[in-house]
Amino acid sequence: MVECEHQWEMTNTQFAFVVFEKCSHCQVVRSYFSKQDTWDDYMEDEHHWSIVENAQTFRFDLKCSNCGEHVAFDDLAGLLYCTSCLEDCEVEIQRKKYEAEKTWVLVGFGFLPESKSTPLSGAKLQILSDYFNQRRDTSRSTIKIIPNSLITNISLCRGEFIHDVGMLSLEAPGERTPLF
Amino acid sequence: MTTQELIDLLGLKALSTFEHREVHGVFISDMLSDVMAGAKSGNIWITVQTHKNIVPAANLVDVSAIIITHGKNVPLETIELANKHDIAILSTDSETFDLVGRLYSLGLATK
Repeated sequence: MVECEHQWEMTNTQFAFVVFEKCSHCQVVRSYFSKQDTWDDYMEDEHHWSIVENAQTFRFDLKCSNCGEHVAFDDLAGLLYCTSCLEDCEVEIQRKKYEAEKTWVLVGFGFLPESKSTPLSGAKLQILSDYFNQRRDTSRSTIKIIPNSLITNISLCRGEFIHDVGMLSLEAPGERTPLF
Repeated sequence: MTTQELIDLLGLKALSTFEHREVHGVFISDMLSDVMAGAKSGNIWITVQTHKNIVPAANLVDVSAIIITHGKNVPLETIELANKHDIAILSTDSETFDLVGRLYSLGLATK
């Protein structure tokens, strides 16, 4: 049986928000997809959650136009680009390595805290890379999406998500607050 | 049409250093998520957003150039990131509406 040469298309696109919140007691950060633009602090069991960031974003699935295979990406919180904050971070090492080959590295970030221990699988991230490469002129450059588990120390990470921040604010955007 | 021809015809100011390339169609949005979802390779992206995050979004979907309208000031860190990724950032004092009219008259449309 011949394997399908998948041609991925974006489908099931939903525009909403990705919320990052931190517990002021235990300092745990968690993130989730929300249809609401909420900024209120709240208590939940022993946690006291405060919103760190509420960014507009979208989620989607990919579907192969040849064979109909459907891959859900509801576990993708966003794509993060490395700002070279830590020289010995594995993401920075990979970024430098691939940049020499005109390949731009992004981190495919799952939701926290689950994705710290269970990042998006290599197979799914390869599909995501394939999709964005199919959308571009790869003779100029390519995209490689790597898992967030390669971030050496997430609490020190100053990478930035490609999210829409502050779009609903009446104030001019300032420096972003570190998420982690 | 190429980015060089576009600059010459519309009197755009090139803010970053980049290799000129073919232009195919136009995409207008101030939201990165819109661009990531809908822009096509070779599109010109017209926006008033100047935050450095426009560069990785443009790079991800392979737009041919970002045109910043209304003469908005573009931070140096945005330009430096664009230089690194070979992304064209062009600037005009025109309003978005006027620029789009001129692009349309040149035969460029949403693709």
